[in-house]
Amino acid sequence: MLLELRGIQKAFGGVTALRRGDLAVGASEVHLLLGENGAGKSTLMRITAGMLNRDGGEFLWQGRPTRFLSPAYAAAEGIAMVHQEPLLFPHLSIAENLLLGQGGVWVSRGKMLREATRLIEEMQFPLQAEWLVSKLSPAGKQMVEICRAARAEARLLIFDEPTSSLSVSETEAVFRTVRRFRERGAGIIYITHRMDELRAVGDRVTILRDGETVHTALLNEITTPEMIRHMAGRALDTDHGRQAIVGGAEALRVDGLSRSGAFAGISFQLHAGEIVGLAGLAGAGRTELCEALFGLKPAERGEIRVGGQLVELGSPREAIRAGLALIPEDRGQQGLATALPVEQNLTLPTLNKVSRFGFISRGREAARTTESIARLNIRATAGQLVSRLSGGNQQKVAISKWLLSGARVFLFDEPTRGIDIGAKLEVFQILEELAQQGAAILMVSSELPELLQMADRILVMREGRISAELTSPTTQEEILRYATPAGAAVA
Amino acid sequence: MIQRLLPFTTLIVLFVGLSLASPGFFSGTNLAAVARQTAVINVMALGMTLVIITGGIDLSVGSTLALSGLLGAMMMERGAGMPMGLLAGLAIGGLCGLINGLAITSLDVNPFIITLGTMSIYRGVALVISGGVPVTGVPESFAQLAQARVLGIPLALWILAGCAVAVHVFLVRTRAGRYAFAIGSNREAARYSGVAVKFHLTAIYAIAGLLTGLAGMLHASRLRAGQPTEGQGYELSAIAAVVIGGGSLRGGEGSVAGTLIGAFIMGLLANGSDLLGVNPYWQQVIIGSAIIVAVTFDEFRRRRGSHAG
Repeated sequence: MLLELRGIQKAFGGVTALRRGDLAVGASEVHLLLGENGAGKSTLMRITAGMLNRDGGEFLWQGRPTRFLSPAYAAAEGIAMVHQEPLLFPHLSIAENLLLGQGGVWVSRGKMLREATRLIEEMQFPLQAEWLVSKLSPAGKQMVEICRAARAEARLLIFDEPTSSLSVSETEAVFRTVRRFRERGAGIIYITHRMDELRAVGDRVTILRDGETVHTALLNEITTPEMIRHMAGRALDTDHGRQAIVGGAEALRVDGLSRSGAFAGISFQLHAGEIVGLAGLAGAGRTELCEALFGLKPAERGEIRVGGQLVELGSPREAIRAGLALIPEDRGQQGLATALPVEQNLTLPTLNKVSRFGFISRGREAARTTESIARLNIRATAGQLVSRLSGGNQQKVAISKWLLSGARVFLFDEPTRGIDIGAKLEVFQILEELAQQGAAILMVSSELPELLQMADRILVMREGRISAELTSPTTQEEILRYATPAGAAVA
Repeated sequence: MIQRLLPFTTLIVLFVGLSLASPGFFSGTNLAAVARQTAVINVMALGMTLVIITGGIDLSVGSTLALSGLLGAMMMERGAGMPMGLLAGLAIGGLCGLINGLAITSLDVNPFIITLGTMSIYRGVALVISGGVPVTGVPESFAQLAQARVLGIPLALWILAGCAVAVHVFLVRTRAGRYAFAIGSNREAARYSGVAVKFHLTAIYAIAGLLTGLAGMLHASRLRAGQPTEGQGYELSAIAAVVIGGGSLRGGEGSVAGTLIGAFIMGLLANGSDLLGVNPYWQQVIIGSAIIVAVTFDEFRRRRGSHAG
């Protein structure tokens, strides 16, 4: 065995993160690590990579008892980690990020660019070595992070949800990387929330729940429902069908919407009670379209009608007044003020409804907060800081803040990104309830199975234009065919 | 919560310690002097609290103080009467703040840079208008303001209390106050939530300017003159009061109670050193160290608080 962890324990202050973490990874093995948020996966991996010190348990590296005192020790032993939230220098170029800390005192720019380009080409990512990292999308940053981990001759690679922000073709590139490392004899630990991608890469799986390893199995000897049962500690119904509502009034109508460099000639309608999916690869213009509809970066040409009325959406305020709500892709940066308490986040867009002459009524605010927390089953108190919540609960706060705004059109940009399967199902339920109550929903997602499950219709974007409108039943293959640029090979 | 109380505890310990160490400290005259001295910085610091909560900074308040005091005094010297003079001083302060806010939001340049610029500009304007000479012809009634007592307590302290209550209510009970925290905590998220970020930011700088204008008139009353060179370095004292009181330069944090405590801690340190005969050069070393210690403790508290699985 390359790595053997036995009964690893770790607590932060009074909170136990790991009670009994067991994990064994061999060379040339892709080992999946599953578990809900807070199950202890990240803690276990940070101990493995030397970023945290364990409180107890045995740590064997290549058969020898070991304690990595810092990430540098672990790196010297050939352990590399691809972080979920990329740890990059935003003001430096991709090349500088990839090769920082390499070589001597003097930096040769040309050599650095060549070396970085070679790494990027090996991964087949659509990046240029001289680009600034701050200009990259979340997906682009994730790709840089992967290149950086791949740079070293790693013997054990840890991927912490590397594909949560990537599109299908980019995910395929990550899988190729993983397979290449396995062929070279490296061990790979792969954390993911996406059940659909497990079998594409993995050999074995270890499942954590509440800080304990509850199950380890070969992937071809375990079914997906079994894995979910181990993760959740209970059986979950993952594929309940949705009762489509037809014949609702037109809630949103977009005609010929364009913004240069982002999207062009976008026309579609949303009806009350309808969930419409928006599929496409990263960079196809889906997020940009949402930003235009919400007045963040207004379109240059075209018309938007909400409830039949022509509207000018030059700012989020105008969009909110017109009856729109956007739950953005990047929760931490755009959706929530994470350093503020739950209550202040929940009521931020609707403060005018709980205040008079500019003064907030504490009683009405508290009543609304209590109602929101109960309605969406948010596991938090009003005064808790949002940064202390799990991803799933944060997302519920980010959604909940709009439920009292009176919005009729909801734009969900990647609503299940980075949340565990239990929270995902709850988010789906919220979407369905909203639709049932007559809201129109546009759901942007890179997770095709989720779109297929949730959406009544699916719009596909390709290079800034709508390339297809598919009504169910449709398939992942069909969506991909319209999403992939002409001439490019589908992996 | 224990650590939240640290600045307050420090203030109490300092107060008790000085009462024991120096017989002259716990007397009506001395405490009134401390109150009058710190009232000026305190009123400014209240405005600075608002600005720092939004994640900004205002380096121009020292110059604004001088400019508003000077122009208010000039109005009075030319016979406009005390109420008009006071109003003029406040208006000038508000105008300076408004210009800061408009420049920051419309040019989209860092507040540090903009107010570094206006710090120099406002000071320059004050010097140009006055020719560098103090304006001393203020009415006796104006000069008496600083000395006046109401119910035995210096008027300056009443004014400070009034401002403190107003700013506190603004921060915790009004929508605009809530928006200030939201903008400072995450400006993007505030915009995504439909907050008119530029409008509210501009308003905050204008309010801070208004409070600085008031501080300028208090200061001028104490000096019995409008001094174009006054207030240099006051911006740093105001910032120090806010951060000692738990405000974060990263934005989204700060409180009126914290700032008041921060300002009084600095006031007591200065006064106590005077009474105990500490070399004034050493006073600067003491106050500087106090700032670093206070903020370090606060950072420590924050870091310990943010460790979760």
